[in-house]
Amino acid sequence: MSSGENILSANISVDYPGKKGVLRDVALDIAQGEILGLVGESGSGKSTLSLAILGLLNLKGGTARGNMAFLGRELTTLSEREMRSIRGRQLSLVLQSPHSSLNPALKIGTQLTEAWKAHAQGSRVQCRRDILSALQMVSLLDGESLLNRRPSELSVGQAQRVLIALAILHRPVLLIADEPTSALDMITQSEILRLFARLNRELRMSILFISHDLLAVASLCHRIAILKDGEVVECGSTEMIFNHPEHSYTRQLIAALPAAPARLEEVVVYSR
Amino acid sequence: MSRRMQIVLASFCFCWLFVSTAAAQSGGELRFSIQSEPKTFDPMLADDDSSETIRYLTGGFLIRLNRQTQTLEPELATSWKVSNGGQTISFELRRNVVFSDGTPFSADDVAYTMRTLMDPNLHSPTADPFRSVEGQVKIDVKSPTAIVLQFPGPVANLEELFDSVAIVSAKSPHRDVAGLGPFVVAEHKAGSSIVLRRNPNYWKRDAAGKPLPYLDAVHLDIQQNRDLEMLRFRRGEIQLINTIAPDAFDRLAADMRSAAHDAGPSFDTEQMWFNQVASAPIPDYKKAWFRSQNFRRAVSQAINRADMCRIAFAGHAQPAAGMISPANHFWFNAKLRPEETDVPGALKRLADDGFHLDKDVLRDRDGHAVEFSIITNAGNKVRERLAVMMQDDLARIGIRLNVVTLDFPSLIDRISHSFNYEACLLGLVNVDLDPSTQMNVWLSSASNHQWNPEEKTPATPWEVEIDRLMHAQASTTDNKQRKEYFDRVQEIVADQAPFIYLVNKNALSAVSPTVRNAAPVVLRPQTYWNIDSLYLAAPDPSGRHGE
Amino acid sequence: MSRIRLVAIVFLALTFSAVLFADFVAPAPYAKQFREVPNAAPSLKHLLGTDDLGRDSFSRLLYGSRVSLLLAPAAALLSTLIAAFVGGSAGYLGGWFERVALAATDLSLSLPWLFLLLTVRALLPLNVAPVTSVVVTFALLGVLGWSSSGRVICSGARAIRESDFVLQAKALGCAPHRLILRQVLPNLQPVLSAQFWTSIPIFIIAEANLGILGLGVAEPLPSWGNLLRGLENWPEVKASPWKLAPIVALIAVVSCFQLIFQKRENLAS
Ligand SMILES: Nc1ncnc2c1ncn2[C@@H]1O[C@H](COP(=O)(O)OP(=O)(O)OP(=O)(O)O)[C@@H](O)[C@H]1O
Ligand SMILES: [Mg+2]
Repeated sequence: MSSGENILSANISVDYPGKKGVLRDVALDIAQGEILGLVGESGSGKSTLSLAILGLLNLKGGTARGNMAFLGRELTTLSEREMRSIRGRQLSLVLQSPHSSLNPALKIGTQLTEAWKAHAQGSRVQCRRDILSALQMVSLLDGESLLNRRPSELSVGQAQRVLIALAILHRPVLLIADEPTSALDMITQSEILRLFARLNRELRMSILFISHDLLAVASLCHRIAILKDGEVVECGSTEMIFNHPEHSYTRQLIAALPAAPARLEEVVVYSR
Repeated sequence: MSRRMQIVLASFCFCWLFVSTAAAQSGGELRFSIQSEPKTFDPMLADDDSSETIRYLTGGFLIRLNRQTQTLEPELATSWKVSNGGQTISFELRRNVVFSDGTPFSADDVAYTMRTLMDPNLHSPTADPFRSVEGQVKIDVKSPTAIVLQFPGPVANLEELFDSVAIVSAKSPHRDVAGLGPFVVAEHKAGSSIVLRRNPNYWKRDAAGKPLPYLDAVHLDIQQNRDLEMLRFRRGEIQLINTIAPDAFDRLAADMRSAAHDAGPSFDTEQMWFNQVASAPIPDYKKAWFRSQNFRRAVSQAINRADMCRIAFAGHAQPAAGMISPANHFWFNAKLRPEETDVPGALKRLADDGFHLDKDVLRDRDGHAVEFSIITNAGNKVRERLAVMMQDDLARIGIRLNVVTLDFPSLIDRISHSFNYEACLLGLVNVDLDPSTQMNVWLSSASNHQWNPEEKTPATPWEVEIDRLMHAQASTTDNKQRKEYFDRVQEIVADQAPFIYLVNKNALSAVSPTVRNAAPVVLRPQTYWNIDSLYLAAPDPSGRHGE
Repeated sequence: MSRIRLVAIVFLALTFSAVLFADFVAPAPYAKQFREVPNAAPSLKHLLGTDDLGRDSFSRLLYGSRVSLLLAPAAALLSTLIAAFVGGSAGYLGGWFERVALAATDLSLSLPWLFLLLTVRALLPLNVAPVTSVVVTFALLGVLGWSSSGRVICSGARAIRESDFVLQAKALGCAPHRLILRQVLPNLQPVLSAQFWTSIPIFIIAEANLGILGLGVAEPLPSWGNLLRGLENWPEVKASPWKLAPIVALIAVVSCFQLIFQKRENLAS
């Protein structure tokens, strides 16, 4: 469990026009190199939170109040232009459904190039090298042949990896992954979880891992925050949450788990 | 050959003749289409085509214009006399005539009809031509069969006006339905059809003494669509079509030779004219061209009228000689000939006015290239063809013609209000024989004096002369004298070409071979003018159409 | 499959070159009236016969195709561009701009165009050279014909605005102009090209109808529109089937275009 400088420390409330108080004083701290799991049932406000951090809530019509200090800068006071230079470079997001998050009309290579050009200048060779290294990082080894394909020609797992490659292209400090595994089968899911663990280890990348799957979160995260109806009801280390859950909702979640904690140990072992 | 003789012969050898004669005696129902719902069934208020059709078929008239011979014939009046310089007319009436409801006919009915008709509150369009001068008509019933009408002033063409005065009954309790004509209105389905039944009391008889009309009924379908009308005719559902376009006529003739009737040139003209309005928003140099007699005549000479008749009308038209059609036997000035196509002649006339050809482009004295536009109504295919042919003809004398088709309201606005046009191509439908009805075209102060309407004073000496001649012909009832004046007008118009007359369309109609005694003519109503002697042959099972 | 496409390409290439070099290919000038032989049947001298004024139908078809093949796509391009701009920005930007743009589209759909066109005609001078009349007609069609396409494109753009991949691209820090260029336009392209291709025959027929109002291509210049007007008379066409040539040409050209374009689409998806 790492404890260093907090790279993100936020306290946010969010309203939508038709629905007030979707998030109420949600406080989150993420330290350098830490994986924080955010668990909550559907509709609890997980995606809302990730958009609020990236300053993209206006796309859905929502408004955020509160403060978000990221690498010592207060995000809520930044202009759209400054936010744009942060997004994708220092602070990245991976969306929930891999296929619909890729542009169906563009080749994979083009989409990666677009993402590269958003924050880098340089020759085509440089761009290509960065892209291929990102693809390698997400274990897409035949990157060359992939670049000429369109999203419809990829499997879901490949698409999810491409999405992650897009997000880590510029080696962000913090990666927010919004339910990155919910669309995947069990085998692929565990591969992706292992991928996140490796990114965290090799790139020292902090990750906000959002999921409704407590088991997956437990296998990966150092700390877990439990979100219920727009409020964080409990937040603590993975062991704490599992061994001494305080809130009744947390206990409910753990009781609903299908597998024994023994299996949990096993998963935790290889994630470290 | 007498009818009796015919029957004898028929029973021996010509079966079809027997059948058709027998059919004549059993009548039949004749069907044809009218274009719209009649606006009125009151004969005194009839102003639209459909109402006039009803009046023609149901009304009894003192005098009737024979549409074939173009002469006046006695009907309910056995004789008449115009006197007092066209102010007075006396009628001797037919005896033993009764209305369709059995009420007897007498001079009182004529008196009642004229009194009602001339009532200013009725606003009868039929009455208008009788009102040359303000004042009352003096009606003098001399006896049950004699009546004298005295108008407050001379009335041009007085006797012919009675062709549209249907006599109504003074005493009949069913005045609005009792008639003296061959048919009476029996049934009216608004928007769809009108059925006329035979008037059993109709006074007229055929040569053999058999009562007319032969037909039991006439069924009028209200049908606007001319294509559907033709389709129904081909199917045998209707038996008459009064007017047909040249293309449709040729197609009909190809399939049903004996049904298509070309009665020769009609009174209708196709003509073009140049805008001579002084205040028109067109350049002055163009106004100068249009005011030049030589320019107008040169354009007229460049046009190939024979080609127009042959191509645009598929041969169903004749080159026009002038304002009056040769079909108008009495009033046509027989000295006039259609303008011959003469390109060198046209160029010579133009040269006289200082125009010259410069590499195939005609230029005026000041070097302006001669180009003008001609407007015509959009959607009339024949007229569009005429315009495109003119375009080609005028190119031969170096004139560029731009053809512009406009919807009718914009066209009318340009030629009668804004005067924002250079030349116009239109047709004129003529219904009357007598030129007195054309006063509103030829007087320089008239609104239909299209090349320069409503002039305060005539712009040219020849317009002064036309004004004088038109007034002169209106002030006498001596038709020989009037014809002399009117011949002169026709000559001036031909010489000055304010209207350049192109063609007279032929009167094209369709009559089913089952209709007997039909003899289509150019005057309206072309196919059923002799309705009382038409009858239907029984359908011929062998498919032959005996004639 | 690709053989059909090849045939279509060859056909179009032949048509276009015949049409572009009409001056050399056409046996007679389009306005020349052979008045001795109006309405003639096909012969060696007149391959497709003559029209009702004796003009060579084959030559008129060539020149008419030139007018329509060059100008109808130009008008379609113009209207598609306007539709793409108005509809695309309305759908992509959303908010009040979308409401205003959609109201404008609805308004222009409900306008009595006939009446407006007549007014436009009334404002134009009468002495307009036929070539000018052609250009004016198609420019009008292009400028006025965007609204229904605009609606389709707007809803396409709205779907794209709300799509995950645009959100993802924004989250990656892509700049707005790159978003429009790389994310929105490539996805609108099928809609845009469908609008473009369907506009062409619509404009050709619209031009024919405008001719009835005196707004179309002025005589003696031929266009597919006024050649098609020669088909109004069905009994006559039935008797002389070669008069169907303009409509056959129209269908052939439009469907060839569509064949080639559809193949590209299939590859794309
Ligand atoms: N644009 C919006 N306008 C109004 N309400 C919204 C909007 N988007 C989301 N909501 C509401 O806000 C709440 C949180 O939504 P959010 O999408 O953040 O939930 P989530 O935890 O991500 O759920 P899931 O697991 O289904 O993705 C939900 O109740 C939802 O109905
Ligand atoms: Mg969500």
